Amino acid sequence: MVHEDYKEMIPARALSALDAAEAQTLNEHLENCAECRKELDDWQATAAALAFDANPAEPSPKVRERILDEVRKDLSETNVVPFRSTSRNLWSSFGSLGAMAAAVLFTALIVGLVVIWRQNNAIRDELQQSREFVQLVTSPGARVRELKGVDLAAGATATVAYDTNGHAMLVADKLPRVPQGKAYQLWFIVGNKPPMPGKTFAPDSSGKGRMKEQMPREALDSPTFAITLEPAGGSTTPTMPIYLSSSAVN
Amino acid sequence: MHPEPAQESDILLLKAIAARDEAALAQLYDRYRTILFGLLMRILNNREEAEDVLQEVFLQVWRKAADFDESRGRPFTWLVTLARSRGIDRLRTIASRERVAEAGAREVSEEISDAATDAFKSEQRGLVSDALAKLPDEQKRPIMLAYFDGLTQSEIATHLGSPLGTVKTRMRTGMIRLRELLAGQGESLGF
Repeated sequence: MVHEDYKEMIPARALSALDAAEAQTLNEHLENCAECRKELDDWQATAAALAFDANPAEPSPKVRERILDEVRKDLSETNVVPFRSTSRNLWSSFGSLGAMAAAVLFTALIVGLVVIWRQNNAIRDELQQSREFVQLVTSPGARVRELKGVDLAAGATATVAYDTNGHAMLVADKLPRVPQGKAYQLWFIVGNKPPMPGKTFAPDSSGKGRMKEQMPREALDSPTFAITLEPAGGSTTPTMPIYLSSSAVN
Repeated sequence: MHPEPAQESDILLLKAIAARDEAALAQLYDRYRTILFGLLMRILNNREEAEDVLQEVFLQVWRKAADFDESRGRPFTWLVTLARSRGIDRLRTIASRERVAEAGAREVSEEISDAATDAFKSEQRGLVSDALAKLPDEQKRPIMLAYFDGLTQSEIATHLGSPLGTVKTRMRTGMIRLRELLAGQGESLGF
């Protein structure tokens, strides 16, 4: 079977209408053929449009409740840290050596709990910020701009969401580490006017950065966003280099 | 070109779900519940089964949101493909092949609680309905039997009493024509 034969099978595969043997043969081909995988993605989009031929229907409100109950159970299970108490018999059995070992274990447990407590706080903060971000982007009139890293930060990405009052949030990922005494700074550029400075921020050790911002009113008119590396206190005019920028204003 | 705001927002919701944000999952459910439940009702023709599968779909979204790859397609395509796949799996499990006898004649009438808040208004349905109306019946039937009834090409050939090769050709020709008819409507249709 040649490549074109496989391509001919893909529309039927998007409808899951291939018989078992043909489906298996095509699946093996798809593992090694990026072009056909892309073709399948495109055909699946066409197939998905057929869902509109079904009449929309309202499920029982209980379905939503059941889903969210399961989700809450899942969240509570993953946040629980099991704690096991140590039996008194252990002390008497091992005497002072046991006491020392227990002391070491106890210290390790305390250190572990502190680490978990910090991690939980970090996760809670991140979730809170994610909620705020979702609230912002789903508010009426909200706009979203994607920023992409340039040479010095190739692979870095950032998203800025802002509403009609200029409340903005920035979420960045894969940012290079900042040298000591430096920070990233957000800029708003409108037309040919000089860039307007935003706040500075520093990414965490994994290159993620988040920041809330109040945009100047004059920056709300179709701004381009840029991020540069500046002195930690920020600059009033960019000293370059640009690390990320949004694409041309639409 | 920037994605449409709704698409951008869907992607952000999936990112928030991947970060285990319960409220984001609730928002995604509220946005897509009627289209996905309508699809599952059409496939399963059983309210209890369809609600059970809808629950499975959103719990899978909760667990697998991080697997969504925006370079491979839109969130809508991902959600519909997930729901349809689960629906067809359930259909095959309950082995309701007697449904074949009534395939194509099935209609599900359900009330929509608040059409104004639904992400999918009549515009999108009209686009697909118009495109399907332009397909010759001989091409449309194999596609619909595969999509909504989960039949394979061999099963469709048996059901329609047509040679397998004819079914394959008509299905492929119909899909190509459907793609042409929907071309340029991607933003409206979410793909």
